[in-house]
Amino acid sequence: MSKIYVIKRILYTVLVFFIVVTLCFFIPRMGVDDPCARYYPAQGNMSDESYETIKELTRQQYGLDGSTWSQYTRYINNLIHGDLGTSYRAGSPKVMDLIADRLPWTLVLSVSSMVLCFFFGVIIGTHCAVKRGGWQDRALMNASTITTAVPSFFIALLLTFFLGFQWEIFPAYTDQNLVSSFDWSLESMGAVAYNAALPVLSTMLGGIISNAQSVRNSVISAARENFAVTAKAKGITNRGVLYKHVLRNALLPIVTGLGMSLSGLIGGSVVIEQIFNWHGMGTLYLEANNTNDYPLMMGIMILISAFALAANLITDLCYGLLDPRVTLGEKV
Amino acid sequence: MKRLISAALTICLMLALFVTPGCKTSIGQRKNDQSSTLYVGYVGSSFPTSFMPWLSRDGIAPTVASMVYNTLFSYDDESGDFEPLIAKNWCYVSLDGEPLTTDGTYEGKTDYAAVEEYYSDLSDDYMAVRIELYDNVYWSDGERLTVEDVYYSFDVATDNTLSNHAGALAWTADLCHESNKGKLIRQGMFTAKHPDLSGTYPIREGEEDTVMYLHVNKIFGSVTTLFNTILIIPEHIWKPIVSESQQLNNKNPQGEFLDQYRNPVGSGAWILNTNETNTQMIVLDRNPDYHLKASDGSPLYKVDKIKILLYLDSNTAIFALRKGYIDILDSAVSSNYVSLMEKEDNIYISRSSGSAVSCLVLNVEPSSPFDNGIKLLFKDKSFRRAIALAVDQQELVDKILDGSGKTVSAGLILSDNKLLYEEKSDLLSFPLEKRLKIANELMDGLYPQKDADGYRLYNGKRISFELLTGAGAQDTVSYLQRQLSKIGIELVFKASGSSPETTYLYRSDFDITTQAVILSMANADVMYRAHFVTTERSSNYGKYSDEVLTKKIEEMRHTLNRDLKIKLIKELQILTAEAYYKIPLYCSDVLSAARTDRFSGYVSMPGATAFNNETLKNLKMVGVS
Repeated sequence: MSKIYVIKRILYTVLVFFIVVTLCFFIPRMGVDDPCARYYPAQGNMSDESYETIKELTRQQYGLDGSTWSQYTRYINNLIHGDLGTSYRAGSPKVMDLIADRLPWTLVLSVSSMVLCFFFGVIIGTHCAVKRGGWQDRALMNASTITTAVPSFFIALLLTFFLGFQWEIFPAYTDQNLVSSFDWSLESMGAVAYNAALPVLSTMLGGIISNAQSVRNSVISAARENFAVTAKAKGITNRGVLYKHVLRNALLPIVTGLGMSLSGLIGGSVVIEQIFNWHGMGTLYLEANNTNDYPLMMGIMILISAFALAANLITDLCYGLLDPRVTLGEKV
Repeated sequence: MKRLISAALTICLMLALFVTPGCKTSIGQRKNDQSSTLYVGYVGSSFPTSFMPWLSRDGIAPTVASMVYNTLFSYDDESGDFEPLIAKNWCYVSLDGEPLTTDGTYEGKTDYAAVEEYYSDLSDDYMAVRIELYDNVYWSDGERLTVEDVYYSFDVATDNTLSNHAGALAWTADLCHESNKGKLIRQGMFTAKHPDLSGTYPIREGEEDTVMYLHVNKIFGSVTTLFNTILIIPEHIWKPIVSESQQLNNKNPQGEFLDQYRNPVGSGAWILNTNETNTQMIVLDRNPDYHLKASDGSPLYKVDKIKILLYLDSNTAIFALRKGYIDILDSAVSSNYVSLMEKEDNIYISRSSGSAVSCLVLNVEPSSPFDNGIKLLFKDKSFRRAIALAVDQQELVDKILDGSGKTVSAGLILSDNKLLYEEKSDLLSFPLEKRLKIANELMDGLYPQKDADGYRLYNGKRISFELLTGAGAQDTVSYLQRQLSKIGIELVFKASGSSPETTYLYRSDFDITTQAVILSMANADVMYRAHFVTTERSSNYGKYSDEVLTKKIEEMRHTLNRDLKIKLIKELQILTAEAYYKIPLYCSDVLSAARTDRFSGYVSMPGATAFNNETLKNLKMVGVS
């Protein structure tokens, strides 16, 4: 991997991030709604003149005064200094504080889901590859068709109904006391896991099947490679060939995919969070959207984009490290 | 492989062990709760974390604000009287303080004839009102509530641009009093500390903290907004910290200001429990010192605590009710859900008659009248009448509301309002076939040409309108499309978005829209003008204007003869019905649900869900005598 490639890749990421920030800034402003009007909705019997006065006062209060360009430069300047601005909600909390409050809760869902998807995906995929053509393999193919066709929010609704409301195995929605009573005790962490069970299950079901299918294909493909045949010819047992040689090589694309999926960790479960009343970034974004809270919307979008770009960059750069056959930016 | 599977099983087991301790905390804690705590479900996107009463406009905030704070009176729609809250009585008085009541006392009922006789000939532009507060009202921090708090609340509302803008929440336009940046411009409130310099309004010894006088516009409705919409706030809390830079209704409060927003000190029957309240749950404790008691001396409200739980999704909230995770829902439910729940044990379905009339508004003054001139067709009254005749209210009630509602007169006042309802305004209640025949005759006379699909043509173009409404009203739109197609008019759905008023309605940038209209004795002075006269930023979305109607509305507003006022409202119904500008669709019942396994005694109140003040006064814990 050449240094020039790394620098180019980083600069490219910064450029994309800048474009994203610009779009995040301008797109909400292209809407027809005036945030000031949202703040102080017009009342009957109020003249246009006095209403304009009130809106102007509001604009000054929230930095919406001046041209869009001057607002933009002000925003970029603040962003460079790590300030995502102030939310429009009562009490004017900092966007960063609101995000910091919600981000861990989203990560609880997304990281657990990702880890479990990977773990169970590898087990099931390998098993199906070994039993290729068997009922397990056919079941995986059929399950894959279903999970591709059925969106995760629908699975979430089914799980809520059956496991939550009908059989009451897991909470159908998040306990309203969960966040305020959390204190890092074992009981608290257990409560988080208990409440997160259905949201995690909803998001991981599709992921497990998809990962399992990739692992299965990858294992089958790797098993046909010369190194596997050689290993077998050396007298290594089937299990030894599978775990020491085939699986190791088959996992490379899966690990890469795992890196790519990091980008969805923050913003990937908006609907699931909504269904389960989960106190995460998704519900925060919906709240911001419902109240035309531009700074908060922009803050969340920028954070999600930054995270996705960083994840892609790291994955790209690590690819060469994971697979020595891959050369990045070097002439062959 | 076996090793892998064993590892997976081990991890599952460890997870299960990890989760087990957490199973104790559960969403189902209500089921085992033996305390007098009412669990209320609320469907919304978020809960507020600060509670300034005049900013509490959206979502659950107005409900919480009205429980933590009080207005002077509450208004009883049935009797048309003001019921005591902070204040125990009021009356109109002459300009020398003499009561204008039937028995000549300050506690008596208003003598409307005397008020008319006294004030009609006076050149002053105001009337005087005397208010007497209870002498045992306290703020939740223990301070006594006096007339100075009322003076401060009204004064600061007239002074502060943003506060005054809170409009419906602190609307003081009918109070003849004005302050500007703390400077009194016109005095229209009189207390012992802010006396009338001419000394005409008597405040006797011992009444210094409880009696005050107001100057209000010479309209009967003037007192309504002052009495039952403005929440009274504590002077001792706000006066020291409100300044020109930190105004009330400030969206960016700092320091102590913010602290007061988060820890509201009110005089209401409930106190916000700030220890237990969080972003997902609002907890209210009953105020043990609330001055109003039940007739037997027991607390007026029968539960000790109310927990309001947030649900982001209505389906989840309804299932939570069915499974017993909450006692009651503070949201109306659709008739579909009612049929799902009404056969279940322990579920009480409240069906109360609605007060809002859903109607179609035809835009008679479109902001962009192009599009081949079709948008201007609503200027023609015959055209509007044809549309009104084609709307089949009964079908809408039967199919959209599943029968849970009623049809409404074209005068937009409900027939069960015995005081105001004018039968002659019911211009649309005759057989549908006959109505369609008349409508088609009208249309044939105006636009006889039709296209291949049977829609009428205007200048060679199909007569088609967009119906601007919420996505939830798609079924109504479908029925209306079918009904209007019978007279050859095409209707197309247009989504109204999140803030239709500022986006489309105040700009008159629409063809047809839907609107809820409530007209009653309490609001007639304000709402007739808002719906049919005012063209700036008001409920008169289609900017309808008619000289005769305007004159009649002003006459109704300004008369001090109550009987004449009622007569004029009846005449107004006929005029508005004949305008065919706001066409009634239906008045839906308010359907709501509650569980009866922990509490009984829910009360259905007109226009309200089962979670209402009367319910809170009547609830009894099951199994507790």
